[in-house]
Amino acid sequence: MYLALFLFPWMLMYGLSTLMMNHRAIFIAKYGRGPAPFEKERELTYQGSFPENAEPQLVAQQILDSLDLDGAHTASRRKDGAIVINRNGLLVPRRLIYTPSDRKIVMEKMQYRANAMLERYHRRRGYATGYGVDTAWAISVDLVIIAMVFWVLSGLWMWWEMKVTRIAGALAVLTGSALFALFLAAI
Amino acid sequence: MTLSHFNRRLHLYLGLSLLPWFFMYGISSLPFAHNQFFEKRDAARKLPLWTVRLDRPLDLAVPEGEENLRALGASLMKEAGIESASYGVYRQSPTQVNVYAYSFFKATQVKYFIDRKILTVEDRRFRWDHFLTGMHARGGFEQEGVLQDSWSVIVDIVSGGMIVWIASGLYMWWGVRGHRLWGCLAILSGTLSFALFTWRL
Repeated sequence: MYLALFLFPWMLMYGLSTLMMNHRAIFIAKYGRGPAPFEKERELTYQGSFPENAEPQLVAQQILDSLDLDGAHTASRRKDGAIVINRNGLLVPRRLIYTPSDRKIVMEKMQYRANAMLERYHRRRGYATGYGVDTAWAISVDLVIIAMVFWVLSGLWMWWEMKVTRIAGALAVLTGSALFALFLAAI
Repeated sequence: MTLSHFNRRLHLYLGLSLLPWFFMYGISSLPFAHNQFFEKRDAARKLPLWTVRLDRPLDLAVPEGEENLRALGASLMKEAGIESASYGVYRQSPTQVNVYAYSFFKATQVKYFIDRKILTVEDRRFRWDHFLTGMHARGGFEQEGVLQDSWSVIVDIVSGGMIVWIASGLYMWWGVRGHRLWGCLAILSGTLSFALFTWRL
């Protein structure tokens, strides 16, 4: 019970996000295909310096640190030499474009869409980023997985303990399992 | 029947009916959460994931826009001799259209190279992790079949079921006075942790 009470925000998020993802067509009709567009947030001149031929990853790390935006991100160098940093924020994903020639940073944030935000929660992993908070999130997702399997097993056990619900419960389990098997075989 | 009694029965029977889905979503989350582990494990077997079944010339008109792409996908599948009610069509590049036809156990990829006028069909090797993730990710109402839509309706019921379980679980917990304090602490710590993740991630 306490595990379920602790994990209820995760379960609520997974329930709501699955509903949204199952009805993605509604959002495609509303917003069109593809991710939400980025909109300019601010522009600034970067005061720090980088070693010569610095790798995009190093540049990204330094810029994110200086802007207090450190966290899971990817970085790449465009053909024109600009460094593009995608900061994979859960609430607000950001894109920062640093142009070495004039030391300008253009900071953009992704337009807010509730369905996209819930989908980011749903799809968020974490072990590979190297950030402690991402690893902690990944552990919490593992905990949800363990809890779901545990609830199935403990639920079956609790049901079996209540003699009065055995027949109706068995019918429910059998109907659900037969339907699941039908889907497995037919689609 | 009292509200409390109804609530307990709803919690129980909804859970028992949807048990296979709930179990599947739990187990199939593992390959998603530990994708690198499963990929490394499979790579060690050194087996190709896709095997070419067919490679032949085909002259087919390809529409410019995205509107008739699905119809083109159906034609390509027919040319390839594939009968699958579930498929997706997308442009891999300006000169290539891909059709991904799938069931829970099998997946086939049809590639049409527009400039070379070549049709290629590849079958995917069965992998348990793909089988599980395929079930997990299945949903939406874009496919034409009744069974396909029925699966998606069940996905809706499972998602709604999760919300009902939360609400009915909270109601049941509140009914047990002895657990209120510790329950409040569990809810509070869970909510705070979740809020902290939201803020920091």
